[in-house]
Amino acid sequence: MNAPERPESFERREPELPNALPRPAGEFEALKRAWKSPRGLSFITDVNNTYVGIWYVGTAFLFFILAGILALIMRAQLAVPESDLVGHDLYNQLFTMHGTVMMFLFAVPAVEAASVYLLPNMQAARDLPFPRLSAYAFWAYFVGGLVFFGTIFFGLAPNGGWFMYPPLTGTKYSPADNADWWLLGIGFIEISAIAGAIEIIVGVMKTRAVGMSLDKLPVYSWAMLVFAVMIVIGFPAIILGTLLLEMERAFDWPFFIAERGGDPLLWQHLFWFFGHPEVYIIFLPATGMVSMIVPAMAQTPLVGYRLIVLALIATGFLSFGLWVHHMFATGLPKMSLSFFSAASTAVAVPSGIQVFAWIATIASGRMKLTTPSLFVIGFLLIFTLGGLTGVMVAMAPFDWQAHDTYFVVAHLHYVLIGGMVFPLFAAFYYWIPVASKHALSERLGRWVFGLMFLGVNVTFLPMHITGLIGMPRRVYTYPVDMGWDALNLVSTIGSFMIALGVAIFIYDLARKFRFASEDNAGNVWNAGTLEWLPNGQYATRSIPAVVSREPLWDQPNLSKDVEEGRYYLPGTATGGREALVTSPFDARPQYILQIPGAGWQPLLAAVFTAAFFLLLTVKLVLPSVVCGVIAIGCVIWWLWETDPGPTRPPADIGGGIVVPVYVTGPMNHSWWAMIVLMVVSGMVFTCMIFSYLFLWLVNPSAWPAQGFVPPHWVWPATAAALYVASAILIDRASGNLRGEDRRSPRSVPVLIGIALLLVSAASAADLAAQWRAGLSPSAHAYGAAVYALVSYQIFFVLTTLLMGLYTIARWLTGKLDSVRRTTFDNTMLFWYYTVGQGLVGIVVVHGFPRLTGGV
Amino acid sequence: MAAVRTGQVLLMLAGLIAWAVQFSLIYGATSTLCGREWADATLLGLGIVPASILTVTLAALAVTAAAFAWSLKGYRSAETRPVSAADRFMVQSAALVNGFSLIVILWQGIPAFILPACA
Repeated sequence: MNAPERPESFERREPELPNALPRPAGEFEALKRAWKSPRGLSFITDVNNTYVGIWYVGTAFLFFILAGILALIMRAQLAVPESDLVGHDLYNQLFTMHGTVMMFLFAVPAVEAASVYLLPNMQAARDLPFPRLSAYAFWAYFVGGLVFFGTIFFGLAPNGGWFMYPPLTGTKYSPADNADWWLLGIGFIEISAIAGAIEIIVGVMKTRAVGMSLDKLPVYSWAMLVFAVMIVIGFPAIILGTLLLEMERAFDWPFFIAERGGDPLLWQHLFWFFGHPEVYIIFLPATGMVSMIVPAMAQTPLVGYRLIVLALIATGFLSFGLWVHHMFATGLPKMSLSFFSAASTAVAVPSGIQVFAWIATIASGRMKLTTPSLFVIGFLLIFTLGGLTGVMVAMAPFDWQAHDTYFVVAHLHYVLIGGMVFPLFAAFYYWIPVASKHALSERLGRWVFGLMFLGVNVTFLPMHITGLIGMPRRVYTYPVDMGWDALNLVSTIGSFMIALGVAIFIYDLARKFRFASEDNAGNVWNAGTLEWLPNGQYATRSIPAVVSREPLWDQPNLSKDVEEGRYYLPGTATGGREALVTSPFDARPQYILQIPGAGWQPLLAAVFTAAFFLLLTVKLVLPSVVCGVIAIGCVIWWLWETDPGPTRPPADIGGGIVVPVYVTGPMNHSWWAMIVLMVVSGMVFTCMIFSYLFLWLVNPSAWPAQGFVPPHWVWPATAAALYVASAILIDRASGNLRGEDRRSPRSVPVLIGIALLLVSAASAADLAAQWRAGLSPSAHAYGAAVYALVSYQIFFVLTTLLMGLYTIARWLTGKLDSVRRTTFDNTMLFWYYTVGQGLVGIVVVHGFPRLTGGV
Repeated sequence: MAAVRTGQVLLMLAGLIAWAVQFSLIYGATSTLCGREWADATLLGLGIVPASILTVTLAALAVTAAAFAWSLKGYRSAETRPVSAADRFMVQSAALVNGFSLIVILWQGIPAFILPACA
């Protein structure tokens, strides 16, 4: 490999190799054996990111094709005026499914899937820290997504638009099951996205090459970290929204029914608090991909690394201040709108920083005009145009003119296709040599790019005009004399050009893509990052130490030394699958993580979770509950094999570094995952409090509803005392379970058991208080909001109950002691969270009406 | 060490967190004051809505300016004494993020002096 010359720097000295040659006999074979995939049908039970990542990307691409076909049917319908190819009801389902599938089943899963495959390779990790969670997320998405898409063939697909605004989607105007498919189907696929986000956060922070400190982290990893944090913050809003709308539809709790104190605008707030960041959730990983591709194509390091990191983080924050710019036409005060206008323009700055950094990188190197380069250039042009029209619609007066017209359709497609689809195609062409024996054809790739680039512009550029001359979106046909005919015909021709480009890509894929790991096509672009190291199912033979952001350029012997096992952990210390966990800032080795291997548990858990939600959609309650119980059983079966404890003494990974094979407390990866899970739960709860306060704001004289006397203060005081007492007992149990002598005192299960009784009694008291006071959840939005908070808390108490019993079971079977206590720590963290949430809930539900003088 | 790292992350994100708090407070205050028809009240001769926005914006600016100054100090210190690459990266990024946040916070507060409160 020809490494470009680099200035010498004290930080760029190659590290001394930690392991000597020759390596012990059998070491490499043992590593390969540990990572070997099951044969036959059991192959689908493998959880290795190499396989799951590819399946995941393939499934996401399948949904891209399916949603694209729906778009072609719509364009065929709109090619000429007064067409009767498709009726209005089917058309409603088509545009709803096109948007929903593209956003929820293609865009987010595609970028998450790519990272499942790429992140461990790019960070030289053996796998992500929770491979079974990745497998669970994938199978849940695969099964749930395909069943959801299948509804279009039975006339059952949702038809209320991809943002499902009530009251149109309430039972009054949408009494059939179509809307429920969206609410339950998509709601549960969001849970899958969150599972992936937890995996990515912990993976980026804890499993990196030695020495890959934050300043050397690939920009793609930064982008995925921000992406995952945004999912954790943003997705809870839509999870809550779908939950509230489904509760309204199923139990008549009037969150969005204005006659009973609800407000349809609440849905819009919850939807767009997720929906606008969603655009950046899709866009940021794509920019991360571009930031990896551009330096390789220009053969020079990325210009402005720190500024790009700033841009990613700033975008992550600012994108949460834009949601109301989708609601400019709802009559909110102009002052409020202006806050969102200001944030909408401010967020253009970090995006601009990234664009200029890429242009500067291209200018400072010698850009090779390969297919990935062409897609990157296409991305820059199309996304920038979409960004400019974005600034236009960020101005409220312009938005009032363009709202719900084809101008908006043009804008959003320029942003999403430019900002995500083009970078994804660049990524396909760029990274397929890592995953396949052959790279894709450059000659066909130019055709694919040309057709897609022209097709996108031919389709969507005219739509700006179609919209400005008044054509509304979501109409299944239009009269002859509106002046829209020619523009629509051109758009339809363009859409089929895109389809032809994609068809050639699929043809090339079928011709050239042959899955490979050891015998892949190799570093065909002379790139500088670690995913281009020689690898196998075990990832790299040894875990490298890196000294720069482009280690393959700066450490010329790296590939050879890694492959020979001269870096860290060249074998398996425990005989099973392992990853090396490193510190979050400096990437110093901390411990060896024992990773679970292939198993049916995540697959079965995912299938039965999907069945639970999907059967609930068609009101088959009993089979649904049975599937839910089986899914929980599968998760317990899966977890039972984890938390192995210190199965052997600390191991030497090379260079005199000895690390343990098991740790507990804040250093442990599952501790981090629990913290992230608590943030997700806290965000759902925060959105619930926001909903409560929002409904109060629209019901100033009915909070609580007239004639209702809230429960006496003794009830909430009792519930709060019980919650606190349970937390004290858990703290006591934690204290009893400390020490190096592997003690497992009998007091631990007893204390957990009593704490379980107390926490259950606390939530029962909270529920009974409202019920005895005569509050109805369906009479008024006040009751609905109160019962929503109480029900959410009961869900957490039930989960705590399950976790507490599971922890006791671990103690009874000798799998829990003062050293092997990760299971207890997880339960303890969740317990504290549940208690804290319960206390805040009590303060809000019982304190707020008294504070505001409603009582 | 964990406390030092937490401090570094908080310093790096201080400006953007201040913006998030400012944004939530000014939007929440405007919605509540207008929604409950309390917007006619005044504070120091200013309408309650612009006065609230001004107060929150000044507070956010003060916090961010302090974080910016602190990160610049760290930046200069990192130039003169040996620190790890990760530490240098954190202070440099903190200076960039906080400097950018100052502009965003100012930009966010400007509408209060241009538009009517609840129209």
